[in-house]
Amino acid sequence: MTKPRKHRILVVDDELTVCKSIRQVLVGGDCDVDMAQSGEEALSKEAEQPYDVLIVDLMMPGLSGMDLLRMLKARNPKARIIMVTGYPTMRNTLQAMQLGAMDFLPKPFLPTTLRSLVAAALAAGDDEAGGSGGAG
Amino acid sequence: MPFRRMVQRLLDLPLRRKLILSFLAIIAIGGILTLLVGTRIEHQTIISLAEAKVRHDLASAWMVYEERLNSLRDTVRLRARQEDLREALGGSDVAGVSGRLDAIRREFGLDVLNLTDARGRVVVRSRSADAPVGDAAARDPLVARALRNETAAGTRIVSRDELLREGDDLAGRAWFQFVSTPMAAARPEDHEDKGMMLVAAAPVIDDSGVLLGVLTGGLLFNRNYDLVDRVKEIVFKGEKYKGHDIGTATLFQDDLRISTNVLDSQGQRAVGTRVSREVKEAVLDRGETYVGRAFVVTAWYITAYRPIHDIAGRTVGMLYVGMLERPYIDLRNRVMATFVGIAALCVLFLIGLLSFVARRITRPLAVMVDATGKIASGDLAHRVRAESQDEIGQLARAFNRMTDELSLAQEDLTQWGRTLERRVEERTRELRDTQDQLVVSEKLASLGKMAAGVAHEINNPLTAILLNSHLLLERPGLDPGEEEALRLIADETTRCAGIVGGLLDFARQTPSQAAPTDINDIVDRTLQLLEMQASVRNIRIEKALDRTLPAIEIDKNKIQQVFSNLAINACEAMPTGGTLAVASLMSRDGTHIEITFTDTGVGIPKENIPRLFDPFFTTKSFGTGLGLAVSYGIIRQRGGTILVRSVVGKGTVFTVRIPLIPPREDKRIEEAPL
Repeated sequence: MTKPRKHRILVVDDELTVCKSIRQVLVGGDCDVDMAQSGEEALSKEAEQPYDVLIVDLMMPGLSGMDLLRMLKARNPKARIIMVTGYPTMRNTLQAMQLGAMDFLPKPFLPTTLRSLVAAALAAGDDEAGGSGGAG
Repeated sequence: MPFRRMVQRLLDLPLRRKLILSFLAIIAIGGILTLLVGTRIEHQTIISLAEAKVRHDLASAWMVYEERLNSLRDTVRLRARQEDLREALGGSDVAGVSGRLDAIRREFGLDVLNLTDARGRVVVRSRSADAPVGDAAARDPLVARALRNETAAGTRIVSRDELLREGDDLAGRAWFQFVSTPMAAARPEDHEDKGMMLVAAAPVIDDSGVLLGVLTGGLLFNRNYDLVDRVKEIVFKGEKYKGHDIGTATLFQDDLRISTNVLDSQGQRAVGTRVSREVKEAVLDRGETYVGRAFVVTAWYITAYRPIHDIAGRTVGMLYVGMLERPYIDLRNRVMATFVGIAALCVLFLIGLLSFVARRITRPLAVMVDATGKIASGDLAHRVRAESQDEIGQLARAFNRMTDELSLAQEDLTQWGRTLERRVEERTRELRDTQDQLVVSEKLASLGKMAAGVAHEINNPLTAILLNSHLLLERPGLDPGEEEALRLIADETTRCAGIVGGLLDFARQTPSQAAPTDINDIVDRTLQLLEMQASVRNIRIEKALDRTLPAIEIDKNKIQQVFSNLAINACEAMPTGGTLAVASLMSRDGTHIEITFTDTGVGIPKENIPRLFDPFFTTKSFGTGLGLAVSYGIIRQRGGTILVRSVVGKGTVFTVRIPLIPPREDKRIEEAPL
């Protein structure tokens, strides 16, 4: 491995302020953070170039977070997705986990919490990449 | 009908009087019967005794009469044998003989002592030496018999002519004007001029046995009282009763009293009166002996009469003895009086005994009546003493048993009444609570919808504020003033997040992790966590847990959340300390488990109670106002309810009621609708 490439992270939330705030928390270091304000936009961006970690809001107009999760996982089962929601319920938590979400983070949260979750997700991806000899 | 009314009145008398009256009636009837029969028997006994005595007395009197006759005969017969009579009949010394005979006549109290010759002509008439002689005395049957050489004696009616020959005084003594006697038989004449005489005649014989003449002695009974007085003397010993002679004797010539010691009302001998027709017919006409009660002159006597016959067997008179009836009547009356007196004493004694017995009988009844009254007026603890083994004792025992059952039944009824009252109260409260809950539930439903939206909408800006304020804080070299301001923003944002989180907790009904759990364990665990805090606040915790309660299907985390909420609320209601009492028990109907949290705190004003479970309702300066609403939601989800009772200044009781059987699955709310 030469110089480690920057991790690509996509934040999907219909609220621009939330997207920007999350990007502010994660930006810098070895992360590139993109934003998408709808599920559709996220899908097209992901189709251009896959991301290491996706942070997806559950409740969005149009394509919902849960639908997006399902479609992303269908496209790439190894996609690492952290679900975020302002209205966490037991049911949607369980559903998200069953669909393969890495984690489920209720709003609002502290920067440190988000960072540790993202770090954990990235670490899991690195292990996987290292173990399998690297992936796309 | 007056008789029926009287009977009714008798039946209405008190029992004791009835008993006494009926016994008295029996005693009275028995007593009167005994008295009647007794009187009769006693009277007959006394009278028949008296009659037997008078019959005996009559026999005695008759013996006196016969003795008189015998002594007369003996006197005459002995004198007839004297020498001088023969000489006189031979014609010599007639005057001397007459004198000697007169002396004998006087000595023996005779009225007549005459000597006749063998042809029956009077030679010597001793009574009056100068009276004419030579008249024939042979018509006298006794003289006639002596002329046949026999001595004879007997009673004889002597005509007035004969009496006149013997002397005017004798005729005068014999003469009676009849005293009118109401009960006597009618007689044509109004006087009696004949006399009744006791006569004895003995032959005078010479040495060769030739009859020379006859010596005749006579005693005129008319107005001669020697015999009757002698009878009285010998037979009755002259006894007197209240100044009257008890015994009397009388000689009758035919039915005429010629010699008697019966006195008339002037105290004179009652000669000249006559006997009653009844006696006359029995004795004179039929020749019987009469014994019976008779009214003699002035008083009642018990009498006996017998006929007197002359030598030819004709009835010429009567001998009478009589005893005054008065002493016997008085004796009978005394006996009767004694008898009645004893009977009266007996009755008095019996009445005493009766009232005692009647009281013994009726007193327990009176006690029973009293007891019945007491019990009727509600004193069910009252009991009767049942000492005796008789019917009344049995009654008393039965009565006590009945009272026992009555009081048990009443207790049951009272208990039922109380239970009913409490049930009604409970139901009323439950109904009211249910209504309140309906309102609350509706509020909750709409709130759930709103909360979901609000939470979502607010959490986004909160996320942005929280993230950015923290990002700013992460910058090095911050001015202390700026840092404090940022810290304030971050903290308040966190607080907002907490409120929204609470709201979501409330709105979101997460599925329960129900498992069979001992509710007491949850109470124990909750209180254990609270102990330290409580002791610091000077709060005593008391537990009264029913350890026999069955395990029920509950989510223990949720229930613990409810319990700690209620326990913490209780502690916060007692800022200066107090007692928190927690109890668990089975509901009366056995369908619910109840856990009560009782504090001695400040209490909840009445007007606040309906709003107690409303979200965001709080009286505290801290807290979200969601604790009770959330607790309520949890218990409602489990099919139960929370009840509140509170008195300001005294404390509050929260009662959590959880049904043993959870509500059906489809009724559970897992998630608030989005």
